[in-house]
Amino acid sequence: MTRTRTRRDLALLAVVGAAALALGGALDAFRLDLAVTLLVYMVVAQAWNILGGFGGLASLGAGAFVGTGAYAMALLLIHTGAPWPVALVCSGAAAGVLALVLAVPLLRMRGAYFAVGTLAAAIVLQSLAVNWQWAGGSSGLTLPLDEVPVGLPLYRAAVLLAVLTFGAALYTRDSRFGLRLRSARDDEHAAAGLGVAVFPHHVAALVGSSILLGMAGTVVSLQNLSMTPGSVFGLLWGLDAILMVVVGGVATVMGPVVGVLVVYYGLTKQLDDHATLALVLQGVALVGIVRFAPAGVWPFVVRGWHAVWDRLPVTRAGAAR
Amino acid sequence: MEPEVLVAGVLAGGLYALVALGLSLGIGVLRLVNIAHGEVIVGGAYAAYAVIERTGWDPLVAMPIAMLAMAAVAYPIQRFLLHDMVMNGPQAALVATFGLAFLGQAFFLGVFEADPRVLPASYAASGADVLGVRVQLSYVVTFVVASLVTVATHLVLSHTRAGAAVRAAAADPHTAEVLGIDVRQVYALTFAATAAIAAAGGVMAGVTQSFGPSSGIGLLLSGFAVVALAGIGRVGPTFVGGLLIGVLQSVAVSWFGGGYREVVVYLAFFLALAIRPTGLLSRGVTA
Repeated sequence: MTRTRTRRDLALLAVVGAAALALGGALDAFRLDLAVTLLVYMVVAQAWNILGGFGGLASLGAGAFVGTGAYAMALLLIHTGAPWPVALVCSGAAAGVLALVLAVPLLRMRGAYFAVGTLAAAIVLQSLAVNWQWAGGSSGLTLPLDEVPVGLPLYRAAVLLAVLTFGAALYTRDSRFGLRLRSARDDEHAAAGLGVAVFPHHVAALVGSSILLGMAGTVVSLQNLSMTPGSVFGLLWGLDAILMVVVGGVATVMGPVVGVLVVYYGLTKQLDDHATLALVLQGVALVGIVRFAPAGVWPFVVRGWHAVWDRLPVTRAGAAR
Repeated sequence: MEPEVLVAGVLAGGLYALVALGLSLGIGVLRLVNIAHGEVIVGGAYAAYAVIERTGWDPLVAMPIAMLAMAAVAYPIQRFLLHDMVMNGPQAALVATFGLAFLGQAFFLGVFEADPRVLPASYAASGADVLGVRVQLSYVVTFVVASLVTVATHLVLSHTRAGAAVRAAAADPHTAEVLGIDVRQVYALTFAATAAIAAAGGVMAGVTQSFGPSSGIGLLLSGFAVVALAGIGRVGPTFVGGLLIGVLQSVAVSWFGGGYREVVVYLAFFLALAIRPTGLLSRGVTA
């Protein structure tokens, strides 16, 4: 059953990815930019989901890695002649290296301490960026316009990144690695007792998630052309990541998609001119969802779907779901 | 190292001790890591600001009002919202307080605007001589307040029936419930108390440094640095830990300059947790 489901989902991902790439040519500049924004949120949410949903390590500091990727990209483009795809990959790697370094102190902690540790990481990096005059200090950096892809190439890069991220999420959901990771999430001691090497799995999840976050950060920097420490290292990334995943459905692959769309169209877009109110509502939404619907929207949808689908006479006969 | 640095550090550490005490009690008694703790502190500062703006009183007079206000806000949040979240998983309450933190920040931004503010006090600019060293009087006042609050908390916890109920609910909530202690009420009152302590810290922070809607996170992390050093839920070590952090910061600033004053604290947090997750000053019992 799992094999079939995995193959089906991978095929679906490939088809959707190819369609998205092809569709790019038909979109105008505004919609391309909107699509890039949504894709970035989906990557960030899914990356959080891999570490937090499947891995059980809820991070509040997504900004640490998004910012690292963004700054690495900017610095590479400004100071070396590297072509942007190369810089993108290198920036992702930089975020991964940071994650490796932080893994040592961070993974000694669990639960709340881990969360606060990631928060501290984001804050420390933001402070360091503010104090680092060579990297622009508090004014931040601006990317050299002629080396930056705009429009279609950027959109395609975002689509590829999203496909990669969703592929990673599918892998985490369906592979043996994922099974062991989830077992460690559900009961670390029992898993360890059964021979699961918990620390390497956690490191893999942390580093993998961080690389994806870093690459999302590079797309952010390319899209916005300028950044300040606050805009890329900021805590808002952490809030958005959690909110979008929790609203959509933790530890599911579709959850982040639903969550991004609901939060973006339901909240952020509606309150474009009211940043403060948007923040209030995001806070309320997070509290409300965690309190009253912790499994999120997607499982709700799935249950509703099954409630209807399994009752139809056509499907009842062959129902082996 | 000059004595000024040391003494200034110890006195400034009083503020950190105040900031951390509420946080530590929340974790130790309610098993709740309150990411919004910084916003509670800032809330206390704003509450005092609102009072002072209308009455012109000294911050120390406004402090009890600010403490009461934050306690009144905190009580229902714990009793009716956070208490039931424990069922939704160990991290549900943590994520919820994260949401509350943003809510708080947005509220401050909306009501008070982004401009940094200070709580005006007659002694804010004066100096004093402590042990032959010239220091800011406001820091001396902060240290005194922190000491009084710490001693009061310790006495309540160790010598009153209410304190015994708190300790019982902290140690084993189920058994405490069976023995007739209303754990929900105890938790809510304890959380309210942590908010009051935090508000006191906020008032003193408002006197000694400027604050704004987003000051909460930095204060939260300072509190965590102290908790990391001191271990959870223990009043005395938390006070000592606060002083240590104050000294650490003072020394770092004198060596590296002002830009790194926060970074030092956060690095201390990381190192403390990396080296000894249960707290450097604790005796190794599970955190």
